[in-house]
Amino acid sequence: MMQRAAVAPSRGPRGASPSVRGGPRGGIQKRRGAGPARVDKDGDLVMDAGATGGKGRVGRGRIEGGAASKPLGTGRTNSGSSRGGNHGLHRAQAILRGMESKQATVLESRITAVGPTSLRIDGLSSSKAASNPDGGLESLLGFLERKASGLDAKSNRTVKIKKSSMKGDSVIITASPDDIEQIQKLDKFTFAGSVLSVKACDPPSPQAGKSGEKKKQTVSQEAQEAKDRFRAVLAARYDANLKLLNLSALALDTGLRQMGVFDGSTTTSKVFPAMMVVCDGLFKNQQEKRDAIVSVSLADNELADVSAVTTLAQTFPDLKNLDLSRNKFAEIKGLNAWRWKFRHLENLVLTGNPIESQPTLKDELLKRYPNLQVVNGVTLRTAEDVAAAKAAAEVKKSPIPIAGPDFRDVSQVGENFIRQFLPLYDNDRNALLETFYDAHSVYSLSLNLTAPRSHEHSMPIQPWTAYFKHSRNFTKITHLNARMARRYKGSQAIQQVWSTLPASRHPELESNADKYLMECHPLPGLVDPSNQSVRGVDGLIITMHGEFEEQTESATEKSLRSFSRTFILGPGAPGGPQIRVVSDMLTLRPWAPLALPQISSISPETHRTSDPEQQEREAITMQLVEKTGMTPAWNIEQAFITFTANKDKLPADAFIPSVAR
Amino acid sequence: MADLSEDTEVKVATDAAQLFVDAFYPTLGNPKTRGNITSFYIKPTLTSPQRPDITLNGNVISDPSEVQKIFETQIPKAHYEVQSFDCHVINPNYNVGLDDAALGPSKDGKKMSIVAMVSGSVKYYKSSEDEEARAEPRGFTETFVLVPNQEAQGPKAAKGLKGWLIQSQNFRLVL
Repeated sequence: MMQRAAVAPSRGPRGASPSVRGGPRGGIQKRRGAGPARVDKDGDLVMDAGATGGKGRVGRGRIEGGAASKPLGTGRTNSGSSRGGNHGLHRAQAILRGMESKQATVLESRITAVGPTSLRIDGLSSSKAASNPDGGLESLLGFLERKASGLDAKSNRTVKIKKSSMKGDSVIITASPDDIEQIQKLDKFTFAGSVLSVKACDPPSPQAGKSGEKKKQTVSQEAQEAKDRFRAVLAARYDANLKLLNLSALALDTGLRQMGVFDGSTTTSKVFPAMMVVCDGLFKNQQEKRDAIVSVSLADNELADVSAVTTLAQTFPDLKNLDLSRNKFAEIKGLNAWRWKFRHLENLVLTGNPIESQPTLKDELLKRYPNLQVVNGVTLRTAEDVAAAKAAAEVKKSPIPIAGPDFRDVSQVGENFIRQFLPLYDNDRNALLETFYDAHSVYSLSLNLTAPRSHEHSMPIQPWTAYFKHSRNFTKITHLNARMARRYKGSQAIQQVWSTLPASRHPELESNADKYLMECHPLPGLVDPSNQSVRGVDGLIITMHGEFEEQTESATEKSLRSFSRTFILGPGAPGGPQIRVVSDMLTLRPWAPLALPQISSISPETHRTSDPEQQEREAITMQLVEKTGMTPAWNIEQAFITFTANKDKLPADAFIPSVAR
Repeated sequence: MADLSEDTEVKVATDAAQLFVDAFYPTLGNPKTRGNITSFYIKPTLTSPQRPDITLNGNVISDPSEVQKIFETQIPKAHYEVQSFDCHVINPNYNVGLDDAALGPSKDGKKMSIVAMVSGSVKYYKSSEDEEARAEPRGFTETFVLVPNQEAQGPKAAKGLKGWLIQSQNFRLVL
């Protein structure tokens, strides 16, 4: 106990989760949270390579199988054309080489830096602790961690065992290479009356067990080798012209066979996920992957269901064309793991499968994949049909028809506010506060983390850390004190919050009118800041729904948030802003596409001008009018003058009859 | 002139919003309680002719009875889940439609107008029995302006009346 206490303060610097220690220990368990799960995947990859280390070299390129593969169209619906072989070998390799130079180091560091090694401990069964309920495992692990941590008094760091399991009388443990090195020094130590034997038990490898440093290198070499081989296989199977990754007849692949990954059987269950991991590593981000690979062929893989290849959907969620021909799919059930995947799939080939003869197959597939147009080379519906079906489904899903925005502005005050608000909030929040906020403006934000998301489009959710402590979601924040504290009154208080929130980028309004829905109507009964009218003055209430991109330094993917924001605008106090924000309430949700109104298409060909720029401007204006109800021309100063001139004269309901549509 | 304290203001407003949200959504969702929908809105009277301003998915609805009709005829059953809501006080002394005698401020917060924004999900069912019908949850945002219920004011007011009523409602499916 003394030792443990002495070691305890050192946890901080290592950045390990403090909750790891002291938890209950079972037979086989993970000893850390999320970290090793990832590692295991890589570990698998490493082990595959290890099992075959030293066998023959990978064949360059693939010679056979060309005739068996049937390429799919590139993103469009021109299926059915049975083109022959597709080895854009040189081009493909050139591309992959290009990607390698950027990606190799990243992938390598991922595989090597965290490669766990394991030790076999003998001697527990003859110790006094063996009579404990758990066979003494718990106390042995505690002993090892404590002793190993205490060995090197100078380094002052904690040794952690990540995983442990019983194998006969031996205990197998896994830890980081550095920790393993420490624990190995406990060989011949006495534990509860028994002398322990601590031996390395890495995957069979000639150098294993010499030293942690050496082992680390071995793992890295093996991982690197496996990765290179997989990459060579992928390169040979990639057609850059068709943007096709041809994973057909994997069991016959010379390169893979030489790696020995099939181990005598034809199962692809092990090799496939490993290949997907390598695939993922080749691309900087989702977009790059989406652009490079539109089609995948899994023909001739003897698949009866997709369980062995299910990771395809994680690696390539946005595939447009998928070839599953000449497999053993007999029932739609075999495709169920992909029931809600591939929401952008347009073209699916299932010829040469027993399932082909099922009369209900096509209907079921069309139902499952909203964008599917071509099955087995036959066009079942066109892109227009798909759009129409979506529109019809939309109407059915919302009993209250979704109409365009109801934007009942007064003298363009609301519109001008929005046009200034968006760029200022993104670029200069302090200037925004000076322009529209005063000592009485109230702001708060709330997070809705459980908002429904879309099957069709998904986006990784970035952490909400920066927003969390401000969230005033009343379903969670129930105490008055917190509700008070998370309501920010006055531009100074608001400024303090805004300065801590991540930088944002709202889509530019003119060119992205379809990314917003904004509504506006007059609102009576606001406080008169000049104290002249006890019955209050008129203002506007604006609701804005949309999205913004969060500017973070580290993220490679752009991180989108969806938001709704309600403003109440009223005339400002003398000496302050002319128009002020009375209330600004923001709610944030995980990104999902906005449910847009079904707009009747107005022909833009009302008149033609020769100037293309002018035409474009007109088209944009048209779109803006349709979608937001805003007027295309504006004059901000004029609007302010009109609004402020009228504010005292107009009765509460004066606006409504004249502007209601 | 005693002012309303900030914590009374926040407490009364948040309690009012909570009560409203807790009562309003179940009423919309349950076919048996739809008849009560109109009771959540302000009613125009001779002295106070103001009507509620209602917009559902961009459609301007002229009267609360229309809202009730939409729900009774077009939405066999709905399930709303309020996942987040927040509110601010707009005016601590809301005097629209009041007699001159009633214009003074109130210490207890009973004269406030409040803006509330709700974010949640809704499932529309095709029929009231049809629990099986796979209803995809849709996301919505709804903003209300709540104003004091005149009838509930004063010593002679009947018990059990709603303290606040909808003056403005703006509903949008956002997914």
